[in-house]
Amino acid sequence: MATSLLPLLPQLLLVLFALAVLLYDLGNEDRPGLGSLAMLGPLAALLGLGIVAGHPGEYWGRMLKVDSFSLFFQLLTYAGTFLVILLSRDYVERQPIHRGEFYTLILLAGVGMSVMASSAELLMIYVGLELMSLSSYALVGMIKRQDQSIEAALKYYLMGAVTSAILLFGISLLFGITGTTYLPDIASALALTKDIQGNLLLIAAVVFVLAGFGFKVSLVPLHMWTPDVYQGAPTPITAFLAVGSKAAAFAGFIRLLATGLPAAVSLWQPLLALVAVVTMTYGNMTALAQTNMKRMMGYSSIAQAGYILTGLVVFTPDSLAATLYYLLAYLFMNIGVFACLIWVANQQESEEIAAFRGLGQRAPFYAVSLAIFFLSLVGIPPTGGFMGKFYLFFAAVQSHYVWLAVVMVINSVISLAYYYGVVRQMWLEPCLPAAPGAAAGGTSRWSMPAARASTSTPPAAASSTPEKAQSWPEPTKPASLALGVAVVISLLLVLLLGLYPQPFFEWVGKAALLG
Amino acid sequence: MIPLGYILGFSALLFGLGLYGALTRRNAIRMVMSIELMLNAVNVNFLAFSRYLNPGDPRGSIWAIFVMTVAAAEVALGLAIILMLSRRQDDIDVDKVHSLQG
Repeated sequence: MATSLLPLLPQLLLVLFALAVLLYDLGNEDRPGLGSLAMLGPLAALLGLGIVAGHPGEYWGRMLKVDSFSLFFQLLTYAGTFLVILLSRDYVERQPIHRGEFYTLILLAGVGMSVMASSAELLMIYVGLELMSLSSYALVGMIKRQDQSIEAALKYYLMGAVTSAILLFGISLLFGITGTTYLPDIASALALTKDIQGNLLLIAAVVFVLAGFGFKVSLVPLHMWTPDVYQGAPTPITAFLAVGSKAAAFAGFIRLLATGLPAAVSLWQPLLALVAVVTMTYGNMTALAQTNMKRMMGYSSIAQAGYILTGLVVFTPDSLAATLYYLLAYLFMNIGVFACLIWVANQQESEEIAAFRGLGQRAPFYAVSLAIFFLSLVGIPPTGGFMGKFYLFFAAVQSHYVWLAVVMVINSVISLAYYYGVVRQMWLEPCLPAAPGAAAGGTSRWSMPAARASTSTPPAAASSTPEKAQSWPEPTKPASLALGVAVVISLLLVLLLGLYPQPFFEWVGKAALLG
Repeated sequence: MIPLGYILGFSALLFGLGLYGALTRRNAIRMVMSIELMLNAVNVNFLAFSRYLNPGDPRGSIWAIFVMTVAAAEVALGLAIILMLSRRQDDIDVDKVHSLQG
């Protein structure tokens, strides 16, 4: 069994479906069922995962690791990929996006994420990270006719390439110090090192490697890309970066710290504690001032990265389990928020917070769902976000990190303010017939110049003419079922994680042992 | 044989030069070139460590091959993005790209 392809089954199935989507799309503009074919990919991978779950162990010369940790993150990745494709189905119809390439790249990014989570060898983690990153750079710039999309792709690419070079330099130093890049071997080599604190080369290596992962999860000195990319990217891709990319990067992060660098804990623990505090405070403070919903979610995601990082700082089995639980809840609450955002943007042709005005009267279902997702992001019961934060808090207090827990609670209170700003728009602001052009507030995304719109003729841009702006714009196409399904799935899981956490908690407790 | 310290000093210099270029240049192509310098410094590191500390162990060379391959893919994608940008605005100065702010 040692060299069989079986342990790679989920990833292989995902690659297979990525190629199938690409081939099916060849040469024809209008392929029916392309989105459904793409959605089958992650579902097949989930089935494959069920088979692989019965064969834990290490394969392929220790390059591939099947354990409860990798199974957990693979499940998260495939669920995230599935939901993102669900969100995209409506979006790609309304934007000038080439569907085949779009779905293929999403599936390939999913492969990268799952590879990152299922290896304890830095080489595989790096290759997975790059597969995920390269696909994401292209996905961010997928709306080729839009300056914002290209700008976001350029910024993401340049900063991402620099930090991945920094990550590699750190890995090369680690290789020099320990003579290996297999994480358990690194750990045993470092355990023999006498003077961890005074080893300048090791300090440099740890800082560089942390920087590489810190960029992907948007920790503060390396967060600059997050708001711009979140705002400029196609909205389903923003959701993908927020949930998939972040979860996979945290998977690599946890594996690196817990399996590879536990001996150097005195080096990275104080550093990450500082970074966590600064990250959540900065994210929340800056989110208060935002008027664009996607940009606000960008800063919110910086703050959330800070919360999640506290679990790594505390560094006990309980706190790592809490981190995984929070990542699980975070997946569904964020997908839910972005599904509601796409629905509103379809109706209003604007992604500003002002577009949510009167949503409580127009679409109570989406308004109530969005409010519940926000409650979960703040950490108010009975939601999954509350249970996740509660476990994080509890683990921090237990290991005498009370001050960190207090900072987390203060930050949650601050974050209440900007989420409440959106909720107030939905229920307390009158349902004014505002012109979408005015509501767009100068963003070129929805109010493209007429000349450009006539050449491209995407349905969304074509309909933003002054005549239509006088009343509530009718949806250009009937409201999509896919978005509603995504909201319902997210809603059910957020509430389930909040009301019935016990089985999930036992599961993440097992996964957090990294066995 | 050249002492290992010299080679590491060289690669650190190369890396620093690349990082400095990537942070200060405003022309997107030059930034990509600087990033390439950083990746080459990584390769020098891997090969030097492999040759001096574990002679006969191919792992360092394997890493260098992987880094070069991924770097090639990265550059291809980067040039595609820069090409899209140059079609839109006839200039690839990253300071002139600032519609996303707030």
